[in-house]
Amino acid sequence: MSLKRMLRILCGFYCVMGIMPLFFGGTDYIMNILIMILIWAVVASCWDVIMGFAGIFSFGQVAFYVVGAYASAILSVSLDIPPVFSIMMAGVITGLFGVLVGLPCLRLAGPYVALVTFAVHMTLVPFLRGPLGRAIGSGGSQGILTIPPIELFGLAFSSEQLVPFFYLTLSLTIICTLVLVLVIKSYWGTAFLALKDSENFAASLGISAFKYKLMVFALTSFITGLFGALYAHYVGMLSTKMLSMDVFTILMIMMVIGGIGKYPGVVVGAVITVTLSQLLAPLGMYRPLIMGAIVVVLVLFLRDGIISPIIRILSSWQRVGVEEE
Amino acid sequence: MLLEIIDVFISGLINGSVYALMAVGLTLVYGVTKAFNFAYGSFYNLGGYFAWTLLIPLTIIGGYFSVFFMAIPFFFIVGYLLEKVLISPLRKYDDWEMKVMMLTLGLSLFMDFGYQSIFGPRIKSLPGIIEGTVQIGEIVLFQQDIVIFILSISGMLCFGWVLNNTRTGMAVQAVAQNPAGAQIVGIPKDFIFAATFAISTIMVGFGGILLCQKNFVDPMGSTDIMIKAWVITAFGGMGSIRGSLYAAFILGMLEAFVGWYFGMIHVQIATLTLLLVTLAIRPRGLMGRE
Repeated sequence: MSLKRMLRILCGFYCVMGIMPLFFGGTDYIMNILIMILIWAVVASCWDVIMGFAGIFSFGQVAFYVVGAYASAILSVSLDIPPVFSIMMAGVITGLFGVLVGLPCLRLAGPYVALVTFAVHMTLVPFLRGPLGRAIGSGGSQGILTIPPIELFGLAFSSEQLVPFFYLTLSLTIICTLVLVLVIKSYWGTAFLALKDSENFAASLGISAFKYKLMVFALTSFITGLFGALYAHYVGMLSTKMLSMDVFTILMIMMVIGGIGKYPGVVVGAVITVTLSQLLAPLGMYRPLIMGAIVVVLVLFLRDGIISPIIRILSSWQRVGVEEE
Repeated sequence: MLLEIIDVFISGLINGSVYALMAVGLTLVYGVTKAFNFAYGSFYNLGGYFAWTLLIPLTIIGGYFSVFFMAIPFFFIVGYLLEKVLISPLRKYDDWEMKVMMLTLGLSLFMDFGYQSIFGPRIKSLPGIIEGTVQIGEIVLFQQDIVIFILSISGMLCFGWVLNNTRTGMAVQAVAQNPAGAQIVGIPKDFIFAATFAISTIMVGFGGILLCQKNFVDPMGSTDIMIKAWVITAFGGMGSIRGSLYAAFILGMLEAFVGWYFGMIHVQIATLTLLLVTLAIRPRGLMGRE
């Protein structure tokens, strides 16, 4: 997809998101959904960059998200660091964690990477609940309950006032989205495509697979950690429930709906999935059941995600316009 | 102290034997069809619930004997249909490996919560296959453990015999080595894929029936089992049956000793550390081929 069209879709999306509070500013329920859409859109975009563009089967995206959230929460609760700095530090910590996970993974073949990253995810639960986690302040199985809200220039961005927090998230989202778009469209992104198509050929042209893949691990886990931290300060409490398969599947549905490696697609996927999951919330135990079934059906029948038909319609409109002129 | 160590050793041996049965099924299906099955743990639970349904509410005549007798066709059909309906339509895509991973992960979530809504969220306990103990010197062995050990080992031997001595087994090996070549000499590749998947489902189902007697049927325990089975296969080298056999016993022992000495909560961390260290030194596992 061309840079112009990608930017046009993203710009349209964020403009629509930006004026939403004018209509729904008073309804906390809808504002909460909007904020979650923004957060998940970036997290899912990061996953798309690492999985769809770089071709690494990383299943550790939720783990990075949770590491970022816990890092910022622990820093601000135990060490009394202001949330603005702790969020930044959480991003850096998650980035380092991503490099740490990435280092052994990059020597491995496809499915092994999926396994190792998923095993990291599964190990976080006993780690955070166990004595090791409690020693660093994760709060054990109870979790962390009193995370201070973000304060900036004397303003508190708490969950009581959702509209300011929404715009804070929106601006951070736009910055990170631009970074991701630049990465996808730069020499870096082209190198990924070359590596994905033929690793040997790309290597013979002097593209270092190791360097680029490690860099993408660092970048995506940094951004994911940043948004995990933002989420932690938004909801004000954390527990290991965030690591349940439920959350993982929701993220995966975004990818499947959006299409893997069809970049702005995941953003559309995030909108649909978050709304759907909120609507299904009253069903309780049946929600994950339905979510699982949705994944199976979508993977089987929705080949390239929802974005391809949209693009086709858009380009046919454009062609009609040209003919009329 | 010594007696305790022997006890732990025996429990590691029994766990290891059932893990070996499950991991061999998994490594077979990966080696032959290259499909990465994330729903493997849910089939383990399906085994547990299958046995529970037949034994407790239905009180079937013949007890475990009939359970095993009915489990073979049941799991074969489930596995065969699953491959035909869900996995094989994906093969025509370029990125089908990723799609299979996502699909099976969704399937596992669906199955886990399906069990919860059918059987309720509480864990179920299966009756032992046989009651009573055997005493050798000062060591007390449960007869149940001995039967589990013998059954899983003989299941594996039986499987090895089928793989090496029957026409179907050799066809499976041929497809694993070279799918296109196997098709040229007239081996029905699609049938072999589905049959392999079905056989691995039988093996994990049996693993579920055997191990759930000791560990209860827990609707949420499937990811744990899935990770264990995958760690064993990766540790032993994906596609290498002998490798996963060794790996299963090593991990069974590790689990028993770490759980006994440090506590159960450290088992998963120890397992992951072992996996990471092994993969850092040997990226294709213990016995994996380049």
